[in-house]
Amino acid sequence: MADRGRQYLILADEDLISLVEASDSEAFATLYDRHSRAAFSLAYRMMGDRQAAEDLAQDAFLKVWRGAGSYRVERGSVRTWILSIVHNRGIDQLRSHASRRRTQERVEASAPRSQPSEAFTETWRNSQRDQVREALNTLPAEQLKILELAYFSGYTHVEISELLSLPLGTVKGRMRLGLKKIRNFFESRDAAVPR
Amino acid sequence: MSEMNNERFEDLKDAYVLDALPEEERRIFEEFLAAHPERQAEIDELGAVAGLLAFSPEELEPTPELRYRIMEVVEAEAAPRHERRRSVLAGLADFIGARGLAFGAAALLLIGLLSWNLLLQGQIDDLQGQVRNSQSQVDDLQAQVRNAQAQQTQTVQLSGTWAHQGADAEVASISGNRIVLVADDLPSIPEGQTCQIWVIKGDVPEPSGLFQPGGTQTAARVTTPIKKGDTIAVTVEPAGGSEQPTTDPVLSAEL
Repeated sequence: MADRGRQYLILADEDLISLVEASDSEAFATLYDRHSRAAFSLAYRMMGDRQAAEDLAQDAFLKVWRGAGSYRVERGSVRTWILSIVHNRGIDQLRSHASRRRTQERVEASAPRSQPSEAFTETWRNSQRDQVREALNTLPAEQLKILELAYFSGYTHVEISELLSLPLGTVKGRMRLGLKKIRNFFESRDAAVPR
Repeated sequence: MSEMNNERFEDLKDAYVLDALPEEERRIFEEFLAAHPERQAEIDELGAVAGLLAFSPEELEPTPELRYRIMEVVEAEAAPRHERRRSVLAGLADFIGARGLAFGAAALLLIGLLSWNLLLQGQIDDLQGQVRNSQSQVDDLQAQVRNAQAQQTQTVQLSGTWAHQGADAEVASISGNRIVLVADDLPSIPEGQTCQIWVIKGDVPEPSGLFQPGGTQTAARVTTPIKKGDTIAVTVEPAGGSEQPTTDPVLSAEL
């Protein structure tokens, strides 16, 4: 058994990040193995094809490697931090001119929750993921659609209102209600919002 | 563009945490937030809710080539960085390596019981000296090292049908309240099932954690405190776990 590798396996993410900051590549590899699936999945959801998603994931993980010192435990878990890096970099790319056309095509091709099974048929591997899935399933289709257009496709509220031919106030209202409903889902179960 | 005030802040905060504000509006929002730091916690909380969307996509496996490409860059950059910070890393590597030796020695010589690596003491002292002048994150590790000094590290090897099939599993007590099952080469289990850890006190099995065997190495926390004389076992159960074991143990050991 690889004892050295085993030692890394039992370290918490926060410990691994401290080691990564001290240039420990094996600690980084352990973090990558733990979170690459979630990061790549988010990247794919945003970019829409494997190559672009891998480029985005690579960009994000190298930012993790080079910027581990900027992680702050009080702002959330390491996993959430890594996913926020993927998301932020993805938004930057989506808002570039070249990507926007592709995203536009994806938006036009998709319909609100017309394929819920495609989005959610994967067996989720942990309780946190199960809870998030359940929370999102409580949202009305029109609220989830607007949250997804903003979060995954990088559209501003103004752009969403134009895309869906809705008043801007309606878009804002659905954003507010959607987020509130997710938070209420956890509060109603006396559970903290995962961070 | 209207001036930012509390009313407009309320109107825009949901779009802000979803990263859905146009550039100019975002800039004004963030200026307002900087001037009103008491509202930052509210934004952090709302941002955590929005961040949950990141967990929702269907899970996909990246290619092995992606890992290779990233690690190639990381290893190349690690060498010079390692050189610059060698004083810290050397102690840390010794620390981790020595702990690894402690695990192996415990498994082989004591069949998994009560191994405390005294040689670690000197290395930890060295590490503490080096870390003293380092950054705050490394200071946290130093605290862990001191904690490790005060606690015994124990391991116990698990046996059973999976061990006969080539799995290599141990339970490690890293500190008094942190008990972890670590294993290599566990067999895969059918979809809709999970591995469940049990701590058996007398004849009473207590559910003590769930895990999915994944990849070549697996680690799972044992949630029930253990003491000498208890038995630890792993069974395959329906997804979500069971209140009582419904199958024979695939791994077990008496402590």
